[in-house]
Amino acid sequence: MQLLLYALLGIGLIIPSLVQARPVSYPGGWTGMFMNDGDKNSAHIHYSPTAKTSIGYRFEYWRDKEMTLNAAQMNNLLKRWNNPDSQANLYIKSGVGISHSDADDFDGEASLAGFTGIAADWENRQYFISYENRYTEAIKIDDFFQQSARVGWAPYKGDYGDLHTWLMLQVKHTPEADNNFTFTPLVRFFKNVHLFEAGMNNRGEILFNYVFRY
Amino acid sequence: MKKLFLTTALLVLLSLPAFSVHPGGTVYADVNGLVCDFCARALEKVFSKQKAVEFINVDLDEKIITIHFNEGQQLDDETITQLITDSGYNLRKIRHGE
Repeated sequence: MQLLLYALLGIGLIIPSLVQARPVSYPGGWTGMFMNDGDKNSAHIHYSPTAKTSIGYRFEYWRDKEMTLNAAQMNNLLKRWNNPDSQANLYIKSGVGISHSDADDFDGEASLAGFTGIAADWENRQYFISYENRYTEAIKIDDFFQQSARVGWAPYKGDYGDLHTWLMLQVKHTPEADNNFTFTPLVRFFKNVHLFEAGMNNRGEILFNYVFRY
Repeated sequence: MKKLFLTTALLVLLSLPAFSVHPGGTVYADVNGLVCDFCARALEKVFSKQKAVEFINVDLDEKIITIHFNEGQQLDDETITQLITDSGYNLRKIRHGE
């Protein structure tokens, strides 16, 4: 019930918002996403057989929890709204795998683990807003919920092949944490198949993300 | 002056292919949802798999893709519409050029 309230609060407050980069590519497209922030390091490689589904592998290392996750992940585009000057998307992202923790309480415990969450975004060529949440259950180790949102602004409109630049603000909410909101201003550079993001949150923790798509 | 002339001549020569008529013909498609490079790349990848297609140009400002066909080849409107849909976008309008 509390989880549902958090999700509704997030969706209601931040409205359709956050996605790091699209979790589904074009038919036959491969994507690699490498994300690093104050909580974790992650890698996600996926293949899209259609423009509505991607399947792939995810690795995560949660530093405070000393927990790793190796999972098979499926992303589904539930709905896309294509307009002449904008696009909006709604996705569900889920995975199942094995989690492992070296934290004192668990001492190398391994556990079946799974996660699921929704992601929504809207963008035109100058503005961007997104939201995503995820509930993670590593049965013998931990369970937690996280949600985040972004707003972005492009100082100029680049054409296809140009260097695209976005200035963004990310808000992340981790209910179980002591300081459960973090704010991360970041810059995104995007050219051809490469997307880089770099920022620092209000705790001084670095964000560095890289995405490629072939 | 000579350098200026040579530079201008070079630029004119380099720009000639953009104005040439493609032997296989050209189709212009107005596409909804064309907002970023990933969208453009999706369409480029999907159309490049078609034997009839020589190459496509994507104009994000006008939200138009220009499909250039190989000589003697074409795709019908239904196929073009389906390829755009399969890429994750919607066709708004289609026009046939030379």
